[in-house]
Amino acid sequence: MNVSSESPDLLPGTLDLLILGALAHGSKHGYAIAEHLKSVSNEVLQVGESSLYPALQRLLLNGWVKAEWGASENNRRARYYTLTATGRKQLRTERGEFDRMILAIQRVLGAI
Amino acid sequence: MKLLRRIRYWIQSRRADSELAEEIEFHRALKQEEFERSGFSQKDAAAGSRRELGNTLRAREESRDVWGWTWLHDAARDVGYACRTLRKMPVLAVVVIASLGIGIGVNTAVFSWIQAVVLQPVPGVENSSAFYLVEPRAETGSYPGASWPEYNDLRQRLASFQNLIAFRMAPFNVGEADRIERKYGLLVSDNYFSGLGLKPALGHFPESDESSERKPVVVLSHGFWKAKFNADSNALGQTIRVNDQVLTIIAVAPEDFQGTVLALDFDLWIPSTLAPALFPGSRELDDRGERGYALIGNLQTGATGLQAQTELNAAMRQLSQSYPAVSGKFEGELLPYWSAPRGPQRFIVSSLAILQGVTMLLLMAVCGNTANLLLARAAARSWEIGTRLAIGATRWRVIRLLMTESLLLGLLGAALGVAIAIWGTQALRAVPLPTFFPIRFQTRVDLMGLAVSVFLGMSCALAFGLAPALQLVRRDPQTQLRSNFGTGSRKRLPRTLMAIEAALALMVLLAAGLFFESFRDTQTVDPGFQIEGVLLAAYDLTGGGAGHLQMNRTVDPAFSRDFADRVLKRLRELPDVESAAIAAFVPLDIHGLPMRSFDVKGRARTDGSPDRALINFVTPDYFRTMRIPELAGIDFTALDDRTTVPQIIVNQEFIRRYVPGLEPTGRRLQYGKDSFVIAGVVKDSFYDSFGEAPIPIMYFSYRDRPRPAGEIHLKTRAGTETLVAGELQRVVREIEPGIPIFNVRTLADHVETNLFFRRIPARLFTVLGPLLLLFAAIGIYSVVDNNVAHRITEIGVRLAVGATPRDVVAQVVGETLKVIGVGILAGVLVAVIVYIHVVPGGPIDPRVFLGIPAVLLLIAATACWLPARRTASVDPMIALRQE
Repeated sequence: MNVSSESPDLLPGTLDLLILGALAHGSKHGYAIAEHLKSVSNEVLQVGESSLYPALQRLLLNGWVKAEWGASENNRRARYYTLTATGRKQLRTERGEFDRMILAIQRVLGAI
Repeated sequence: MKLLRRIRYWIQSRRADSELAEEIEFHRALKQEEFERSGFSQKDAAAGSRRELGNTLRAREESRDVWGWTWLHDAARDVGYACRTLRKMPVLAVVVIASLGIGIGVNTAVFSWIQAVVLQPVPGVENSSAFYLVEPRAETGSYPGASWPEYNDLRQRLASFQNLIAFRMAPFNVGEADRIERKYGLLVSDNYFSGLGLKPALGHFPESDESSERKPVVVLSHGFWKAKFNADSNALGQTIRVNDQVLTIIAVAPEDFQGTVLALDFDLWIPSTLAPALFPGSRELDDRGERGYALIGNLQTGATGLQAQTELNAAMRQLSQSYPAVSGKFEGELLPYWSAPRGPQRFIVSSLAILQGVTMLLLMAVCGNTANLLLARAAARSWEIGTRLAIGATRWRVIRLLMTESLLLGLLGAALGVAIAIWGTQALRAVPLPTFFPIRFQTRVDLMGLAVSVFLGMSCALAFGLAPALQLVRRDPQTQLRSNFGTGSRKRLPRTLMAIEAALALMVLLAAGLFFESFRDTQTVDPGFQIEGVLLAAYDLTGGGAGHLQMNRTVDPAFSRDFADRVLKRLRELPDVESAAIAAFVPLDIHGLPMRSFDVKGRARTDGSPDRALINFVTPDYFRTMRIPELAGIDFTALDDRTTVPQIIVNQEFIRRYVPGLEPTGRRLQYGKDSFVIAGVVKDSFYDSFGEAPIPIMYFSYRDRPRPAGEIHLKTRAGTETLVAGELQRVVREIEPGIPIFNVRTLADHVETNLFFRRIPARLFTVLGPLLLLFAAIGIYSVVDNNVAHRITEIGVRLAVGATPRDVVAQVVGETLKVIGVGILAGVLVAVIVYIHVVPGGPIDPRVFLGIPAVLLLIAATACWLPARRTASVDPMIALRQE
């Protein structure tokens, strides 16, 4: 059985960015967010629940996402997270910063 | 916004928590389906999903932590736990809360008194603790006050002061000739009310220009206005007759405001510029020699006391150069308002400070006792704490838990303390004070008092809670779980605490004993004069309103002398009067007798300081009326004797200090500009306070130094006081109709009033002393009880191998008493040292200093004998099986 472990060495704050990104194309519940990250990243990013749910609470606290109860695909009660306007703005800024960071890292590595 | 979300989360935290649980469960269910889809059985899939999710509780906890309410949640849980623990030990909780409540209550009550005297000495005036007194000090060290011209000079020169105001206490005769009342008021400077920042309850306070025009106006106190005018606003603009002058009422002072002399309650405020009209012949507005004004003010923002003192020094130097005759020998002194050199301030402040010191000791003793009770209790809880530590609670968490219990106890104690303090201050305020000066203390437990209570409660909790908490946590949980037996170090702490507590308790009890004895002294000790059977009544010629007297009667000594002589002659004719006399001052007054310096002819002073003695002015027959024994020489000659040289009479202590080994009568003495002959010697008596060490005193005669006012002393036949009081009024009215007689009371009443400040602590401690003994006994009992319970095996062995129960009891009691004995010894030593320091020359009363330690030791012995005997009387076999 495949026991998922935390994605190693995510840059600090990256998980929040990833979740915001996962929600960019529509609201999802917690399980869907984890699955989305896993499949899109070709199983590289496996987010454990013990980080996912505190991170979601953090985003709620910051007002970047809002949570609503709704029905899941197979009609069970599930909690859906949606980006708010400030969340969208936050995603843009964080994304820009992340790109700059990656670019900088690549430059440093390329210089070797 | 974030805060808002936080708060919303907190309000719905219970729902949010269950939602999160549901959400995670939903997550797990989907995971299980995923496993099932990949071929696992339902059971394996469920287990697998659970395993993969890991510790969902931790995920939930961490999610909760995000919102930042964890501390509150934990604190609430700790409080809940603490409440349950306390409920499980109700006796301990009640003892601790009651003793803390009493300790905090008396401290808060005394503090609120100090606050009223030191921090808010002028009720109704904001920031009055910042006021400074500007006091000219004479060469002899006395503070006679400032003169009016001097005030005007200083007001201009002291730039550091915002508003320097001046006032002088004065008695007034208020009302029409046939219904004259004696009222007390203040003669005040034009900036008095504005300088104090007061707003009138009604009308307008006098403006500077109004008083400079010497308009005859008066400001009434709220109380007087209510009593005389039924709080009618029509009183404004009406007139009242004061010292035969018609004054217009222009304002009513605010209700809280009672004047600017501590504790005294005044009825009238009148501009000083009216003084010559109210007191015919008074030259106080022009004469630099007529002192008596008190000057107060607060400093400009940014100005320091040092700066103001420097300015004052410069100003006083200039004045002494300009007016060497009257200001030459004066220096200026800046004093905080509460340490006023006149009036009851000094005395009240120092007694309150001592009282506060003792009550703090009491609280410390209570804390020590509580710490011991909790330690004993902690031993019984070591299993519980060990379990907590073993299953992973951090030490910090356990300490927090235990400290929450202590804090809860401390706060409950503080709550009880506040209740006791409020009740206590109200009870104190309700005590009637039959003084001739209306005295009013506006004490109450306010926010500050409340804060002090809570602070005391928390500090106590820290003090008594930390030791047991650290003790419990420091040890290895394994040993705690394995056995209940104490280790060596655990016994040492309670013992040290027991010794300290015994020492503290003893000191408080000694103080209580001393207060009590000093109060009992006032009932049993001979004051040197007879308190019973003397009627007192005051008169004052300076305030007399009747117009037929000469204009300058207030300064004519002949008139004062003649009045005294005529009144006494008529009074002596009354059938129920055994003897009659007049004196300027009555002994044992809270204001005390004045002290003056003098020169004895032919005596070389050993050091630079002048010889000083108290003074009083009396008429012939004074000593016979007061039953003060005359030891040598003769009484003063009659008031109308014009030939004999000026006389004084002194007491034994005066002779002992200043004329030792010589024949005193006939010796000459220089006082001021005049020379006096010592005519007689009388026995020492108490002048300022009960139990005081002998103080030298000089009595002057009304014949040589007539005073315009005095206290008539009448020795009456038993039971005729009230009868004589009426006759006295009639006699004086017949002699001078305009002179009111006021403040009629017996000497016993007068003395009783002035014992107020002794009676309060004495009463306080008669209640507190036994209570403290009881608490100490409970503390010792519980420590010994706990101790023997833990040593039951040892005791069983000793009994089994042949020790008698008596041996066991003797050993336990002996061990404990040794510890307590050390504490008591230390307590007595410290108490004696402090006592010698605070009451120099005071007698060391063996009843107090030996009796109280003996009582404490006896109670301690009983408290440890009871549990020791109970344990020693068990069957050794049962004792051994306890393990």
